[in-house]
Amino acid sequence: MSVTDLLQQSELFLGLTTRQVEQIAALGQEVAYQAGDVIVREGDPSDEIYVICSGTVEVEVSRGAIADVSGPPRLTSLARLGQGQVFGEMALVDRGVRSATVRCVKDGTALYAIPRQALWMLCDSDHHIGYVVMRNIAADLSFKLRHRNLRMRLVGGEA
Amino acid sequence: MIYKVSYVVIGKPHLGEIVNLEAPPRVGDRVQVGGEPCEVIEVIDLIPPRENFAYLHVTCRPVQEKK
Repeated sequence: MSVTDLLQQSELFLGLTTRQVEQIAALGQEVAYQAGDVIVREGDPSDEIYVICSGTVEVEVSRGAIADVSGPPRLTSLARLGQGQVFGEMALVDRGVRSATVRCVKDGTALYAIPRQALWMLCDSDHHIGYVVMRNIAADLSFKLRHRNLRMRLVGGEA
Repeated sequence: MIYKVSYVVIGKPHLGEIVNLEAPPRVGDRVQVGGEPCEVIEVIDLIPPRENFAYLHVTCRPVQEKK
């Protein structure tokens, strides 16, 4: 399966033509990780958005971490993401630092990494692509929020 | 059709999972969620479908695998 075919399996590019997805695919590259690898770390600068081509990652946030206190921060898992899912999209929108740590769960997890700046420039130069990508990012963030709300309701715990 | 599925495991502080599938989960299916064996007990349409994407929410309960 080509990179374009893989990317078209992701909601992020829903509504774009094959030619438009090829334009986006040309901006990035495939990267592979092994179980336990940290792909992005909370608080770090953000340069890329990731699409999961295969495998699974886990999203974690630190709780109660104080910068002046030594020792590792306590990490809380938010969700696992599998094939077709996207992460790093918040940084694409707000250009802030990473809001969570993302760790590889399965050996050989394949991601497609797209540089934020290049994608942003493409969205600026082609407003149709820009509109569709931003709409899809909003839909993805909404889905993740619904998932979190349902999880909170069912487990009766903290998100 | 691509099924974007939100999995939640009932009764435990489980992280849940979001994944795209080629076929929809069905009640009674055995699945792995967060690396743990579970049984699907409910499948609902979370939001209306869009183009070739359907959006499902699946509630599971943990099960013990036979040794």
